[in-house]
This record gives sequence, structure tokens and C-alpha cells, in this order.
Amino acid sequence: MILQFQKGDIVRHLGLLDLQRTMQRALRRSGLPIAYSKGFSPHIVMSFASALSSGIPGDAELLDVGLTDETTEEACLTAMNRVLPPSLAVSRVRLVDDRYPKLGAALQQAQYRITLRGGGTKAVAGAIDGFLAQQEIMALRKTKKSETMVNIRLMIHELTAAYDETQDCAVLTARVSFVEAATLKPELLMESLCAFAGAQPERCEIRRTALLGLVDGKPVPLIDL
Amino acid sequence: MLKEKIDGLLDRVQKPARYMGGEMNCVLKDPDSVAIRYVFAFPDVYEVGMSHLGSRILYDIINKREDALCERVFMPWVDMADLMRSEDVPLFSLETRTPVGDFDMLGITLQYEMSYTNILEILNLARIPMHSEDRTWDHPIVIAGGPCAFNPEPLHHFIDAFSIGDGEISTLETIDVVKACKAEGVSRQECLRRLSKLRGVYVPSLYEATYHEDGTLASFEPTEEGVPRTVVKNMVADLDKAEYPESIIVPFMEIVHDRINIEVLRGCTRGCRFCQAGMIYRPVRERSVEHLLDLAQKLVDETGYEEITLSSLSTGDYTCLPQLAHELMEKFAEKRIALSLPSLRLDSQLKETLEETQKVRKTSLTYAMEAGTQRLRDVINKGITEEDLISSVTDAFAGGWSSVKLYFMFGLPTETTEDLDGIADLAGKVVRQYFATPKNLRAKGLRVNCSASCFVPKPFTPFQWEPQDTIEQFTEKQKHLCQIMRIKGVEFNWHEPHVSFLEACFARGDRKMADVLEAAWRLGCRFDGWSDQFSFEKWMQAFEQCGVDPAFYANRRREKDELLPWAFIDAGVTQAYLWRERERAMQAQVTPDCRKGCQGCGLKRFEGACEGR
Ligand code: SF4
Repeated sequence: MILQFQKGDIVRHLGLLDLQRTMQRALRRSGLPIAYSKGFSPHIVMSFASALSSGIPGDAELLDVGLTDETTEEACLTAMNRVLPPSLAVSRVRLVDDRYPKLGAALQQAQYRITLRGGGTKAVAGAIDGFLAQQEIMALRKTKKSETMVNIRLMIHELTAAYDETQDCAVLTARVSFVEAATLKPELLMESLCAFAGAQPERCEIRRTALLGLVDGKPVPLIDL
Repeated sequence: MLKEKIDGLLDRVQKPARYMGGEMNCVLKDPDSVAIRYVFAFPDVYEVGMSHLGSRILYDIINKREDALCERVFMPWVDMADLMRSEDVPLFSLETRTPVGDFDMLGITLQYEMSYTNILEILNLARIPMHSEDRTWDHPIVIAGGPCAFNPEPLHHFIDAFSIGDGEISTLETIDVVKACKAEGVSRQECLRRLSKLRGVYVPSLYEATYHEDGTLASFEPTEEGVPRTVVKNMVADLDKAEYPESIIVPFMEIVHDRINIEVLRGCTRGCRFCQAGMIYRPVRERSVEHLLDLAQKLVDETGYEEITLSSLSTGDYTCLPQLAHELMEKFAEKRIALSLPSLRLDSQLKETLEETQKVRKTSLTYAMEAGTQRLRDVINKGITEEDLISSVTDAFAGGWSSVKLYFMFGLPTETTEDLDGIADLAGKVVRQYFATPKNLRAKGLRVNCSASCFVPKPFTPFQWEPQDTIEQFTEKQKHLCQIMRIKGVEFNWHEPHVSFLEACFARGDRKMADVLEAAWRLGCRFDGWSDQFSFEKWMQAFEQCGVDPAFYANRRREKDELLPWAFIDAGVTQAYLWRERERAMQAQVTPDCRKGCQGCGLKRFEGACEGR
């Protein structure tokens, strides 16, 4: 089954290990027919579509869990929400069979909502069109192994802003590449954008809103492939 | 406003999950729906405090009341504590992020002496006046309990009331009194007076201590009519009737004991003469197998934990342990739940059970030998022999275990070099036993972990009159041990004597130690139990500022007739019994486990204790 759950604001600091442990224990409490791995120390067969870094909340995170028996989507939804704290509530369950693509492998893009407030917010929001009009946006992409300059323009698929004058607040929607060789972190995107705008908002809150695959070149939520 | 500010701090600290709250099974109540808001503080970091069983029991008991709520707070790590000061954020509860100072009652658990500076830090971060006499009804009533409350004097100035002994009933009684006092509108002073009349409750401000010129205690008396001269510890006679949580909080972050913990029995009757817990938690009381199985089932369903620990001072002594272990394993085999049995006594008949446990996990075996020779083990009444150890490890090595832990103490009364050499001797014999095991049976990778800690004499033990070794003596012995412990296959660890020295000062301290504590905290001491935070220099400076000699507490032999600062507490075991045991110790005479015959320790004076013995 695929669980779509939120990583709420108060638990945004949970790292992958904490989240894994919490989900495992919740699954054990749920009474659902959960599949265990074989071997000396059996564990629950489950995998997250993508690990969300500590500090960032998410609206529609995905977890794939193996089941051993028939059940219904409603039963799973109720069972999971009985055993999870509200900050990790499940919003959707989809029962899929083994032929369903592996979430991690099918993942192509991620969508973020980035809220800017105060300081250079207006300037940053206003710079988006110019920013996107560039042929090439070079940025320093850091991975565990290396640091390379890459053209991140190709990784930005959508970037729009709604600016609210009275609140001095801008809500950006960003859809970016999320595949192994070309993942654009929202922090890096903001860094480049702010550098281009020559301005810095006072606060910047990032939230992941969707994990997407591609069907005929169009983005589709991973749970709906 | 405060809540957002706290949220902002969490982005800037090392382990935000410590302050997050909102874990599964945490209890959220509407503060307006209750008469008493209680906040329970564990004076160490979250992952340590959340592992403490007693706190979980009290959290559950208070929250079961309709008229009260209980929230939690832990000592913020130094990064958070410093941020809270610079950002002007008061200490807050995890459940609702309410300032700790806004609660009606603040309960603090005293598990080890080296957490005392953290208590002052907690009061300060909570903006509660440091001294009891400066508090008003605008501040919570500060109550402390736990093993260290058996000598409360070093904290007398900071705590409004101590609860001594089992907390299950006492906690509820103190809540009743505070609730009634608030409803009637009586003064805080009157509230404290009423608390002092409860069994097991000690209100230090209602007593006065005077001292002889040599610094020893001259008199200790209540200052008011009607305040009891002796404070009698609380004891829950029937554990099956006592409340036990059927649901516990499941933390997000990994904590020290991250599993279900079921207390199978309380107390211990073996009578090890160095062990305070064994004396103050007497008599032995067991939970029934049915009750334990029922609790285990409920807790498994409620938590999803994958491991159950049967805990107590000596789980191996539980009468029906083989039956209980067997039934638990049977019940949870399908759910793949591991069962671990800590504080394993090697002279208990556990082989059968062990073989079953091993199916699930092969953990290392622990042997608390405590002393290196039979003579010294007789002195401390540790009923384990070399043969017990060797025969147990022989079986274990043949059964596929390869990891053994041996615990020792050094600095014990009457100890000589021969006793220290005995430690190396035992470790060497364990190693030889491993190599004597046929290769096809034994597992690879022998690990004998041998650790030696410095002996700390504790109140309410037969060694409460004994001097502790000086730091110099400890260091000498430690050097000798390091030399002789260079044995292949053995890893040797020892504890630094400086912390043990301070522990000894507080364990048997009087009211003057409260001034030293406050001075040390003002010099910046906190988290003294964490070696990276501990500063012995600052502590010595604090002693100097107060004109107090630490050796007076740690290294002095007390006479039989000296009035001890904790003598006003009736801990169950009588002073006469303790002295008798001391005399036997000096003659290396053992005293058998009192389940084989009552030794007249004094507990029989308590209702419902030791029936049929
Ligand atoms: S009164 Fe007797 S039986 Fe009871 S704990 Fe003391 S020595 Fe043991």
C-alpha cells in the first residue's frame, strides 16, 4: 500500500531515521497485515519515496509498505490515523500490487511552496521573470562527494510567485527536477534567485507540497501513476 | 507569541526533537478543565529522562485524575538553555509549551546527585525563585522525590517539600492537599504545614538544624508543634493494586531505553551492603504473572515497540520468572518482539529461559561481581562466587555467547592490593575459559568488558559510617589496576574519581552542602554527570567560597553515636540493623537473603510488609 501523509510543522525537524522508527512502530500498532523481511532480525518492508531533510515540512509525503493480506483503503486509512500523532496524519491510501513502479525510481520532480516575508521579499518575487529568462543559471551544487557548477535552469520546470503587498509576503510555487543526477534543492534555488535579485527576504519557509512522476512528459502525483 | 518564539529556537539547536513534544500517546488536557496543573521535571536531557520508568508511572497516575493534568519538562541541553536566556524564553512544558512557572506544582525526580546543579538551572530557567522562602502562590509548589530524597538536606533550601519512598500514593495525596489549600485560599505557608503532616512528606523549612563546633550535627528538630519529628517513608504494599501505565509515550527520537519496560518486582532482599536501592526499596513485592502478561499485551498494542524489558533491582529473583518469560515469548513470537532480562543474577536458574531468549537476540551477558576476592565479596555481602561466574560463562561460551561484561567497584571498605589483583585474576580466568571452549561451539570475537567504578558510601546502608577513599588513593589504585589489567581480550574501563568524590559529598551531605551547590551553579556548573561539561576546578572553588571542606563529607569516618543528617527519616531499615550489618561486614561475615529467613531489618513494622516471612 502507498500511504500519503503529512510531515507537519511541529515535527518538521524529524530526520529520516526518526521518521522511519516512528512509522515502523505505528505500523506495528496498526494491526494491519504488515509484511516483514526474512532473516535474522526481521524488519518491516517499507520505503519512503524520498527522504525529506530535517527542518522542512511536507504536505504529501509517500511511504510504500508491503502487505501480506487483503484489506481495504478505508481500513488502512482509519487504522493508521488511529496510531499516528496528528502531525503525521495520513490523507490518502492507495492499495497497489507488485507491478506498481517503485516510488523512488518513478520520482521525477518535486513541488515546493516557498513563503517569503519581509526584507527584500518584493524584489525577490519581482525578479522571477528575469531570472527565468536567462539561458543558463550556473550554481554550485554540493553533494556528499563533490561540488560542481551546474546549469540549474534546466532543472526548473515551474516558478511563480503571488505577492501580497499588505503583508509583504510572497508565496512561490516551484516545481523542480528530483532525479538522482539532477536534483535541485529548494535552498539552492532560493540562493540563486536572491543573488540574481540582489535582495534577501527576512524569512523564508520551505514546504514540500508534492512528489511527482512523469506520464507522457506531464507531471502526475506519484500516488496516481 | 511564546509558542512561535520557541518554534524559532528549534531551528537553531542540535536536537530539536528533545523539545518538540506531540509524541504518540502524550496526554493533552484542557488546562481550564482541571484544578491542579502539575509539571514533572527530569533534571537531565530528554533521551535520559524519557527512559525513566518512575516518571512514566507518575505521569500516568496524575493524568488519570480528572481534576489534574501532568505535563513534562526536561533539562534543555546547554545550547538550548543558552539560547533561551539570550532570547528571553522561559522554560516550557513539552505538551502545551506553557511556562513551567505557571503550573500549580512542579515535581522533580532525584535520581543521582550529579543532577543537582541542573535542578537549580531548571528553577532559574523557569524563573522560579531559587529559595523556598522567596516563593509565593504565583509560583508552583516544588516537590522532589526519588532515591536521593532519602538524604534531602543538600537540597533543603531549594525544594518546598520532599516525598520520600514510593510515589504512587504520595503524589496523589500532595495534589489533594494543594488543591484544597488553593480552593480554601489559605496561605502558602499553611499549605506547606499541611503537606508536612502527610506520611512520607518532609518540608525542610519547618525544621531547624544546629551544629557542633567540629561541624557535625548537634540537633535536628521541627520548629513548630504538630510537625512530625520522624518522617516515615511511603510504601505500596501490593503492587498489583498500584497503578501502572497501560499506555506510554513513544518518542520520535531514540532514547536511552527505547523499549517497553515492565517492573516485575520492587525491592531486593539480598542485602548487598553497598547498595542503597536494596535497602530503601525494601521489602520485596512482586506483581502477579497474570497482571504482567496483561500489561505487556496492552503496552505492545499501544506502543508498537519491538522489545520488552523486565526490570527491577533483581529480575532474576522474580519467583515465576521462567513461567513469565516463557509465556511472554510465546505470546509475542509472532509479533517478533524481543525479550531482554537486565540485571541478570548469575546464580538464578535462568538457563532454560536464556536459551529461548537467545533465539531472538544474543546480547552480552553482564556480571556484577563488584569485588575481586571472595573475602571482599563477603564483606560487601555480594553472594556471588568465582565458581558461579566460571560455570555461567562456561555455559554461555558453549552456547554461542562471546561478549561478557564484568562490573567491579574499588575503594571498598577493608580493600587491599590483593583484592585489586583479584579483579585481574577473574578477568583472566574468564578469558581462559573462552579459549578452553571447543572451537566449533564458541562464537568468534571474544569481548570481555571489565569496568571498575569508585565506591561511594550511601546513607541507609551499612557503610554509611565509612570514609570514602581520597582522590589520591583512588588514583593510586587506578594506576595499579591499569597495569594489571593489560590482558589480551579484556577491555578495561574505570570511572574518574572526581565525580565519585562529589557524589560522596552530596550523598551524605548536610544543609551546608546546599550553599556549596548554589555557589557551584553560580560559577556555571551544570550537567555535572556529563564529562564534557564537568569542571572539578569550579566545584573546588565553590567549596572554598563557602568555607566548606569536602573531605569532611567524603573521607571522614563517622562514629556510631553521631547524629546523621538523614537520621530523622524512617526508611524502613533501622539504624540498629544497619550497624549490625556493618559489624558483620568488618568480620567478613555474610548475611543470607532474607527470603530464607527474616534478618529483622525493621520492615516488619510496616503494614503489609513481609507477610508470611
Ligand atoms: S523485615 Fe525481615 S523479611 Fe522483611 S525485608 Fe527485613 S529482613 Fe527481609
